[in-house]
Amino acid sequence: MNAGFLFVLPVIIPVIAGLLVYFRPEYREEAKRVAFVRIMLCVTAAFVFLIDLLPEAGLHLFSLTPELPVLFQSDGMAKIFITLVAVMWLASGFFSFEYMKHEENHQRYYLFFLCSFGVLVGLGLSANYLTMYMFYELMTLLTMPLVLHSGKKEAVQAAFKYLFYSVFGALMGLLGFFFIYNYGTTITFTAGGVLDMAKVAGHENKLLAVVFLVVLGFGTKAGMFPLHAWLPTAHPVAPAPASAVLSGVITKAGILGVVRVIYYLIGPDFIRGTWVQYAWLGLALATVFMGSMMAYKEKVLKKRLAYSTVSQVSYVMFGLAVLNQAAFIGAILHVVFHSFIKDVLFLAAGAIIYKTGRTNVTELKGIGKEMPIVMWCFALASLGLVGIPPLAGFVSKWYLAVGSLESGVPFFNWFGPVILLASALLTAGYLLTIVIDAFFPGSDFPMDTLTKKEPSYYMTVPLIALTFFIVWLGLFPGGLYSMIESFAASVF
Amino acid sequence: MELVQNFPLLSIIIMTSCGAICTLLKGKAAKWYCLVCLAATLALNLFAFFYTLQNGAYVYYMGRWSAPWGNEIKVGVIEALLASAFAFVMILSVLGGLEHILEDVESTKVNLYFVMIAFLMLTLLILVYTNDIFTAYVFVEINTIASCALVMMRYKPGKTLVATTKYMIMSLLGSSLFLFAVCILYNITGHLLMEPMGQEVRRLYAEGQYLFPLTVAIAFMGVGLSIKGALFPFHTWLPDAHGSATTTSSAVLSGLVLKGYIFLLIKIYCRVIGLDVLAGDHMPDVLFLFGAAAMVIGSVRAMQQTDLKRLLAYSSISQVGYIFVGLGLGTEAGIAAAIVQILAHAVTKPMLFCAAGGFMNVSGGSRKLQDMTGAGRRDPLSGAAFLVGVFSMIGIPLFAGFTTKLTLTQAALGHGSVKCVLALIVIIVSTVLNALYYIPTVSTLFSARNDLTPYRNRYAHYHVPYVAAMVLFMIVNICVGTLAGPLLEAIYAGLPSLGM
Repeated sequence: MNAGFLFVLPVIIPVIAGLLVYFRPEYREEAKRVAFVRIMLCVTAAFVFLIDLLPEAGLHLFSLTPELPVLFQSDGMAKIFITLVAVMWLASGFFSFEYMKHEENHQRYYLFFLCSFGVLVGLGLSANYLTMYMFYELMTLLTMPLVLHSGKKEAVQAAFKYLFYSVFGALMGLLGFFFIYNYGTTITFTAGGVLDMAKVAGHENKLLAVVFLVVLGFGTKAGMFPLHAWLPTAHPVAPAPASAVLSGVITKAGILGVVRVIYYLIGPDFIRGTWVQYAWLGLALATVFMGSMMAYKEKVLKKRLAYSTVSQVSYVMFGLAVLNQAAFIGAILHVVFHSFIKDVLFLAAGAIIYKTGRTNVTELKGIGKEMPIVMWCFALASLGLVGIPPLAGFVSKWYLAVGSLESGVPFFNWFGPVILLASALLTAGYLLTIVIDAFFPGSDFPMDTLTKKEPSYYMTVPLIALTFFIVWLGLFPGGLYSMIESFAASVF
Repeated sequence: MELVQNFPLLSIIIMTSCGAICTLLKGKAAKWYCLVCLAATLALNLFAFFYTLQNGAYVYYMGRWSAPWGNEIKVGVIEALLASAFAFVMILSVLGGLEHILEDVESTKVNLYFVMIAFLMLTLLILVYTNDIFTAYVFVEINTIASCALVMMRYKPGKTLVATTKYMIMSLLGSSLFLFAVCILYNITGHLLMEPMGQEVRRLYAEGQYLFPLTVAIAFMGVGLSIKGALFPFHTWLPDAHGSATTTSSAVLSGLVLKGYIFLLIKIYCRVIGLDVLAGDHMPDVLFLFGAAAMVIGSVRAMQQTDLKRLLAYSSISQVGYIFVGLGLGTEAGIAAAIVQILAHAVTKPMLFCAAGGFMNVSGGSRKLQDMTGAGRRDPLSGAAFLVGVFSMIGIPLFAGFTTKLTLTQAALGHGSVKCVLALIVIIVSTVLNALYYIPTVSTLFSARNDLTPYRNRYAHYHVPYVAAMVLFMIVNICVGTLAGPLLEAIYAGLPSLGM
């Protein structure tokens, strides 16, 4: 109980800031609004980084009933998640200052953008199921307005689709909460699980079914088959910086939910070797392959990226479902790397839309000459996602494959890596073709007529910074690896 | 006898006299007098609540005639808690709908409205406290009359009149069934007080005598009070009556009147019949099934509504289903969950109705959802209250609805039979359905599309009573959500005196 009070600040500051932006008339003026939001983003991120630096701590806010407290803690998983949130919100926030110039309703956008920042930090810091569920629901409700931002019919429809899928998924999570509350010794996240085996005896099948539903429920947010259909509809219609955080971070909230429930409440041993593990592996692999295929077929750039998210987040799901340490580390590494990569890709797509209005991949010939910085970032991120060393994606996929092969799970131990490789090929197919067309449009393409359209620093600096991290983490993943390893060891 | 022990009866006397005196007063004076009396009732019952919390339940003999002859009221923790909550919600509903009362009711009849409010409060107090089954019947009837009058007070002939007549017929059907049941029970036991009657019923059941009349009585009691409590499939009167009444009436009818009957049913089933006898007759199973059906069908019907008040009325049907599911589990935890839901819904639904009234003000008095496009922006206070209500209905932690969901699922898991699975399924399905119709409603209310409504330039003018009511409603809702621990403790402390 030393640094505990700090936990409230990064949750509450962005929420208050968001309300101020929305309700104070002086923030209708763009310059003042941008200055204020910029400071608030930096302050919140600073608090998040401060929490990272301090040793692990907990905070007991208050209790619903004696067994149901609202608790915060900063363990390894929480630190990784909130850091990701802070970095992505900083990058996307700065990008928004320029991008939002061609959208309307700025105050509303920043209200929900900032509020969801606070809520996601809260989600990351949650130390028990109750707190996590509360922030999880709030996250859905606060990010929905980002999807329907444009107010067009398709945006509104997409937003409701998002909402219904998410609420349904979260309620399956709630079902799990009730069962764990009944069959566990506590609802506080404890590495290795909290199940009270004396109570569980005789009810294993019921509980396994519930665990499966919980995985499906949180898997909804992570875009896992069969509840993935909202993702390719909802992510592309949001403004680009919002799509970036939706795809980059909010899908990972579903992953966080699964990690917390499986590794910190149920315990990996309970489902190892059961039908739940096999079904989960199967669904994850199906999603990996299907997402890549759909992305390959899709012609609209942002939709293609959304399908790519479906596929990539299920890499993480696969790693979690293998239930051993190497795959777990690979999964968490992939959470981090995919966040950076997908943020860059969406922001680059946003920059292209902002400057040229082009949304279709066939229109992107020669764009490498018009917007070299943006496209270089896009190219490096694409290579990272395909998994070419020394870029970030390689390391995570390596551990995923190694973990899977070591695991001894029948059939899936070799089938998993095969699917992952096939999907990597497809990833190359749908991303690198864009890059190739952008830089080498062919000899008959009138390259000389193109003019420079590079966007302003608000857009390029976040892109370059994130791309730098993709390269950096690919070259030197050791620090991150040992951090993940330190808490991965405790859950097995 | 300690002074505090007189307080429940004193509050009953205050409300009776309030009703009588309000007939003589002019509208405005009647309003103030009624509010003061309600506040006094609230204070007295709160004292009684804290007294019983410390000293346990007690029986108050009217006119010092002891059982089995006299009439008595029994004051336990749950009774006092519910009485205080009902008084509190009544005050807030009156404050929240005050403007509409003055608009909707003919100016010469405003005082009569407060007469009816006073009588309604009186009957609710008696239904909660009485230990005499015939007194309960009498006040069920008075309650019916008062609530019909409250529906009809809205000065618009036609639809309201039809709604009231429908309500009246269904209500009378319910109370006559109840009367039959009372007659049968009196015949086979020879008592009217609940406790002696209960002992006699258990003896008869153990000896295997009069089993058929007993079953009939249990069934009539259940069906009669279910009609009045708007349990599916006897709910058809509710949307018309609640949808067409003035704001306060809708709030009070949905939030309190239904709960008065349902609590009476719980009390009779626990104290007179006993849960073991009841289980032998499979009455809990029947109530459980209809409750579960109500949870789903009420929500489905609510999805089809375009009129905000009817939507809220259908949502009440689904919420009443939760209470009956709790009761139908037939366990201590189930009854506790039912009582939590009575409280949670009593603080949530009136708030939603009052907020709907606020939206009507900025939408030219229309109740159509489309006309209310953006009403939450033009009237942010009602908008905030509506949001709190919706969060509670969807069951987000820290709001009242979550407490219900938590206690009800715990009760279901403790039950551990096929009912457990069924209960969990309907809770999840009904929550999803709640989200499906409340969230689109919220998005319409906060929509920025000005072209859909002709009332885009009407902004809210707040009055002190309305602001106070809405703010208090929100605070109470969050209190029920966050102070679940002490609340459950109090309810469990009160269950033995209910006859568990």
